[in-house]
Parts: sequence; C-alpha cells; structure tokens
Amino acid sequence: MATRRIISSDKGVLDVDDNGFTSKANEKSSIAPAVPAHVIYKLLGFTLAMIVGPIGFYFASLNTLFGGNSTYAGASAAIVANIVLMGYVIVAFREDQSEAMEAAEKERKGK
Amino acid sequence: MADADYTPKFAPFFGMAGIAFAMTFGCIGAAFGTAKSGIGISGVGTFRPDLIMKSLIPVVMSGIIAVYSLVIAVLIAGDMGPPPDLNYSLFNGFMHLACGLSVGLTGLAAGYAIGIVGDMGVRSYMYQSRIFVGMVLILIFGEVLGLYGLIVALILNTKSRG
Repeated sequence: MATRRIISSDKGVLDVDDNGFTSKANEKSSIAPAVPAHVIYKLLGFTLAMIVGPIGFYFASLNTLFGGNSTYAGASAAIVANIVLMGYVIVAFREDQSEAMEAAEKERKGK
Repeated sequence: MADADYTPKFAPFFGMAGIAFAMTFGCIGAAFGTAKSGIGISGVGTFRPDLIMKSLIPVVMSGIIAVYSLVIAVLIAGDMGPPPDLNYSLFNGFMHLACGLSVGLTGLAAGYAIGIVGDMGVRSYMYQSRIFVGMVLILIFGEVLGLYGLIVALILNTKSRG
C-alpha cells in the first residue's frame, strides 16, 4: 500500500487517471455514468430526427403543401435533413469544454 | 404502333436500375463515411471522451448522404407503375437511370471524402482544438458534392412531366 501511494503521488495526473480507470472497470461494466443522460437524449433525438424528419416531411408535404409536386417535396426533404445537421453542429459546438470539465470534476468527487 | 416505339416493354428496367443504383451507391458512400470516421472516433474517444459529441459530425453528414439517395429513390418510385395504368416511356427510364446514377455516384464520392476527412480531422482535433472549424468546413464542402448530385437529379426528375 505504501509503495503504491508513493508511486501515484510521484507520477501525477496520468497515473491517477490510470488507477481510476482500472478501479472503475473492476466495479461495474455499465456505461451509464460515463455518458451523461442529457447527451444520450440529445443523440437519441437527433437520430430520431434524422430517420423520421426528412422522409416524413416529404410524405407530409407532398399532397398538403406542394399539391403533389414531388420535386419541391424532395428538395424540402433535403433541406430538412440539412436543418437537422445544422442543429447537430450548433448543439455540438455549444457543448464546449466547460461542461466536460464539470463532468470530470464530478467524477473526481465521486471517487 | 408509334407509342410502342416510345414506351417499349423494357423501359421500366432502366427506371428500376436507377432506383437500385441510387440506393446502393449512395449507401456505399454513406457506409464508408460512417465506418471510416467511426474508426477515428473510436480512436479519439478512448483518450478524450469529451470530444465524442463534436466528433460525431462526420457520421451525421454520412447519414445525410443516405437521405439524399432515399429521397431520390422514393421520388423515382413514385413516378413508376405497372404498364396498363401507366405508359412508362423509354425517355423516363433513361432519365430515372441518370437521376439514380447522379445522386448515387456523387453520394459515393461525398461519403468517401467525408470518411477520410472525418477520420483524420477527428484524430487531429484531439491534439489541436482549433482544427474543428476547418474540419466542419471541409466536411460541408465534401457533403455539398452529394447535394449537387441531388439537385441535378431533382431537376432531371421534373422533365418527366413535360
């Protein structure tokens, strides 16, 4: 025990991370604490929007908005896909490193 | 008799080939982009898990490539029908083949570009955070190639009603 403490205090951040990783792997094999819930909800939302959004908008607007003109409906479906992409880029851009730092601090407190 | 010259029996073959080419080539591109950038994300995620959210952008863009192909395939499929109801002309068959090939092969090209740029860009982003804006810009320019194919296919598709 004593030798371990000396080694970890000597080597600093890298060694602490390594110890923490191995201890966490010994505890449980669940991914739940590693990824926060709101990130998972964001990803699930964007996945659903990407699957349902463009093709759903195509079929919804084909006969209601554009009166059967499938060209406009197809173009608007592509626009919807790009809007989903823009939303993802904005959300990913806003999730800057401050949130990651907070999560890391929480993890350190949890240990 | 003149109608049979313009609407031969084999004309729907080319339209069906257009649908198949659009979906297969576009999905080959999207799959390559997803897999190649996924390799990079897996490499980065082990060292910097906080970057995974931003690193997933190439995967989303690869998904858009597949959506373009899907839209064109649905569009072509909506114009087709069995012969007694719809006289499918040879012009429409070739035009739908051109639609499918243009959106499919540009999707293949765009997915290839997105895969390689996503892989290397995400790996570089682990070391230099300023590369993010450049990476997203390069990815957008790569993805626009697929959009050009979609635009050409949509314009071509308007000719079927002329």
